[in-house]
Amino acid sequence: MVTHEDIQKIAKLAKLEVEDNELEGLTKDMNEIIAFADTIASVPVEDDGYADPNGLENVLREDTVQPGLTQEEVLANAKDTDGSSFVVKQHA
Amino acid sequence: MESFSEIKKIQKNLTDKKYSCTELTQQYLDAIAQKNGSLNAYTCVTAETALAAAKKTDEKIAAGGMLAPIEGVPMTLKANISTKGIDTDCCSKILQGYRPVYDAAVWELLQKQGAVLLGKCNMDEFAMGSSCETSCYGGAKNPHDLSKVAGGSSGGAASAVAGELAAYGIGSDTGGSIRQPASFCGIVGLKPTYGAVSRYGLIAYASSFDQIGPLTTSVEDAALLFDILSQKDARDSTSVGAQHLAVPALQQSLKGRKIGIAAEYFTGLREEVQAALDKAGKVCEKLGAQLVPMSIPEIQYALPVYYILACAEASSNLSRYDGIRYGMKAEHYTGVNDMIERTRSAGFGSEVKHRILLGTYVLSAGYYDAYYKKAQLLRRKIRRAFVAAFEQCDVLLAPTVPMTAFPLGFTGKDAVETYQTDICTVPVNIAGLPAVSVPCGTDASGMPVGMQLIGNTGREDLVLNAAYQYEMATRAES
Repeated sequence: MVTHEDIQKIAKLAKLEVEDNELEGLTKDMNEIIAFADTIASVPVEDDGYADPNGLENVLREDTVQPGLTQEEVLANAKDTDGSSFVVKQHA
Repeated sequence: MESFSEIKKIQKNLTDKKYSCTELTQQYLDAIAQKNGSLNAYTCVTAETALAAAKKTDEKIAAGGMLAPIEGVPMTLKANISTKGIDTDCCSKILQGYRPVYDAAVWELLQKQGAVLLGKCNMDEFAMGSSCETSCYGGAKNPHDLSKVAGGSSGGAASAVAGELAAYGIGSDTGGSIRQPASFCGIVGLKPTYGAVSRYGLIAYASSFDQIGPLTTSVEDAALLFDILSQKDARDSTSVGAQHLAVPALQQSLKGRKIGIAAEYFTGLREEVQAALDKAGKVCEKLGAQLVPMSIPEIQYALPVYYILACAEASSNLSRYDGIRYGMKAEHYTGVNDMIERTRSAGFGSEVKHRILLGTYVLSAGYYDAYYKKAQLLRRKIRRAFVAAFEQCDVLLAPTVPMTAFPLGFTGKDAVETYQTDICTVPVNIAGLPAVSVPCGTDASGMPVGMQLIGNTGREDLVLNAAYQYEMATRAES
């Protein structure tokens, strides 16, 4: 059973704020979905490690220097920069 | 044999000089200006880009050059496919105004071929939804009935293509997001094998499920686009390219082909959907195929497995939206963590928050083994069950959706019921298989029904061959 406190804790982990008026609905939805997820709990499965379900294998390559994005491009979509770095104020 | 290819028809008219590419593109742009207010299919129109590409095609034709396979054909991309300098916001407030500094691999390939991009299309926010209505711009509407949804998440692309506002669209399919809107809007939608098309530049929802594919008005066009887009790409380490090209296989006869009918796909269907599929099955028999009744009981676990894994991956993928490097950023805050929390809380819509929270929950200490790990193990069990099914048949025939397009604003009586509309589409993403949705009739109100043809890994050729033969047998010349 997921409680209001669980939701608050998960929200903190996910870096989301949950308003008090959202809490009831979210807890209800989460309980329904978790109950649904629980339907697989009793299904027997072999634990055969973590092979990729799509049957894909690791792809390796030489570590070679290749052109990447310029500093200007990397900063192009940031709201706050000083021209060479992203800016986040530690205190307002 | 006659062709239903819209791409070929347009190219023939261009080379026959029935119209210039600039005139054609302008016609599409005028149609968008006229009809998009009611369809809400496009969220961003790129007239300048389109007309510049059209001009190049016109110059090539004037110089007597041969057109590349899709050159000069006006099209659209879903809003989660990166286009350098053009808005790619996943229909989320958190990415509004975001303009990628690089192109997605598929857009690179299409540009190289001379595609004419009309604009970016509406979608459920970050592709999370089945109606397009979680978009921050509101949902796209169904051209067959404006009071119904276009489906989702690639609802905008389906609405645009069915509404004749683009010759074809490129979408993405994580749990049915190409096939379901294609079914609702009466067009063709192909979800390729996982890894067939590079995901480089596709903004991630659930990386082990996401796959890019075409939405078209004919099977031939879907095959044409599959063959162009399925290229191995070093920038996506899961990319393998096409294993069998589709176009060369289209004309093959279905004589002796085995088409599997798995009982699990046929429970809880609306009567009219069932009737349309029965009829489609008979057409396949007439074409020489043999219907093979079978059972894949593991399908019953598909929905919980999908929602656990997709949400887990989403919670990880969407942790990148922190306000620092791109997208929206909270204006007032007291420190880094406060800034990130405020940005995410204001930027994400409610469905996205729900899925992030569910994903965080199933990955958190104490729950990981019961949910995430269990679902991973079951995922392999489901995949093995499909592989075994393909020892008895060449393709599977199933409904795409148990119903036709629902009314705007429809939700199930609870969150679980809403998710259950995806029951027929998610198994394919879990197992990484290719599947196409093809129109197969309508319900009493004239809303389209979709038939899904599913193939084994890498067998787009068999899936599209069957879809093509069905289409040729049933579609009247328009």
